[in-house]
Amino acid sequence: MNKFDQAPVRKLLAVFAHPDDESFICGGTLAKYASEGVDITLVSATRGEMGRRMGNPPYLNRETMAAAREMELRQACASLGIRHLIFLNIRDKTVEFTDADRLTARIEDLIHQVDPDVVLTFHETLGGHPDHCAIGKATTAALRGTGHRGALYFITFGDAMERPERFGFTRGDITKVDVHAHLEAKLAAFRAHRCQTEIDEWVWLPDQEAMTRFGRHEYFMKGNREAAARLRHDLF
Amino acid sequence: MMTITRPQVEAELLKFVGADAYIHSEATSFVFVRNFKIKLTHAYIAGEGPFRAALRFDGHGWLRMEALTHYEVDGNSRLLLAGYDDRGRMNVALHLGKEPFAE
Repeated sequence: MNKFDQAPVRKLLAVFAHPDDESFICGGTLAKYASEGVDITLVSATRGEMGRRMGNPPYLNRETMAAAREMELRQACASLGIRHLIFLNIRDKTVEFTDADRLTARIEDLIHQVDPDVVLTFHETLGGHPDHCAIGKATTAALRGTGHRGALYFITFGDAMERPERFGFTRGDITKVDVHAHLEAKLAAFRAHRCQTEIDEWVWLPDQEAMTRFGRHEYFMKGNREAAARLRHDLF
Repeated sequence: MMTITRPQVEAELLKFVGADAYIHSEATSFVFVRNFKIKLTHAYIAGEGPFRAALRFDGHGWLRMEALTHYEVDGNSRLLLAGYDDRGRMNVALHLGKEPFAE
């Protein structure tokens, strides 16, 4: 066996709020690390069952949406190479109203189980949606609470963090991951979330044309000292 | 979900009148209520499409919704009314069931 074979499996834990957060925001990065053999566990706090997009033309209603979006997320995970999927079974739009200590404790348990090298979640104030901020806050507290050595990063939208100074951050605060080789997987994941993406015509254009909508990079904010110590183009 | 025809939906609504019902109701992203338990006394549907619906309950209650376009009686005998826009986004929903909806 060579040195590569003996290297321990790297592990990534992503804790998000809704099915599609993983694909729409950082699908390229997840596909890239999965293709390198990283063992990825995705936690979705909700099933996104309060979403407004019901397919186009609509084929879902409020009562059928949870099961449909769970199935879509499973398919997206297969497209991206995510091996483990866990739901926290919180109702969509109510994450911020669940007991914060209990939520944090559940995530601490997951951190102990998974023992991740990298943890991805939302920033607790810049997450953009109340569910995002709430799950980000709980995950950040959980990682601190465990004293685990995993590197914490906050996912960011699009290429906003290409110029972090506009948001009061420096380039040193940001990890920029090149995902250009993984855009096909990202597109497949977008399409897996069919009821959410049917409304966006570009997603269903021929592959090469659709992929021009994706940026070459995805950006992450460093969230703890372990992340700060790592390279600027790699989460690990 | 099927497009609403008033006589059919009126008949389905009447099946819930005179008994306890659980209600799910929502309007765009601004509000939802789930599993309000009411004693339904009257139920109405009006309009030529999109439609308006109203419930009277507990002797003094009103629930009125508009912009309803589609309906379905699902496998659990629940009446699901919804209003979709022309791109499949749900604007409003009004569901009636004899049992609580999944939390």
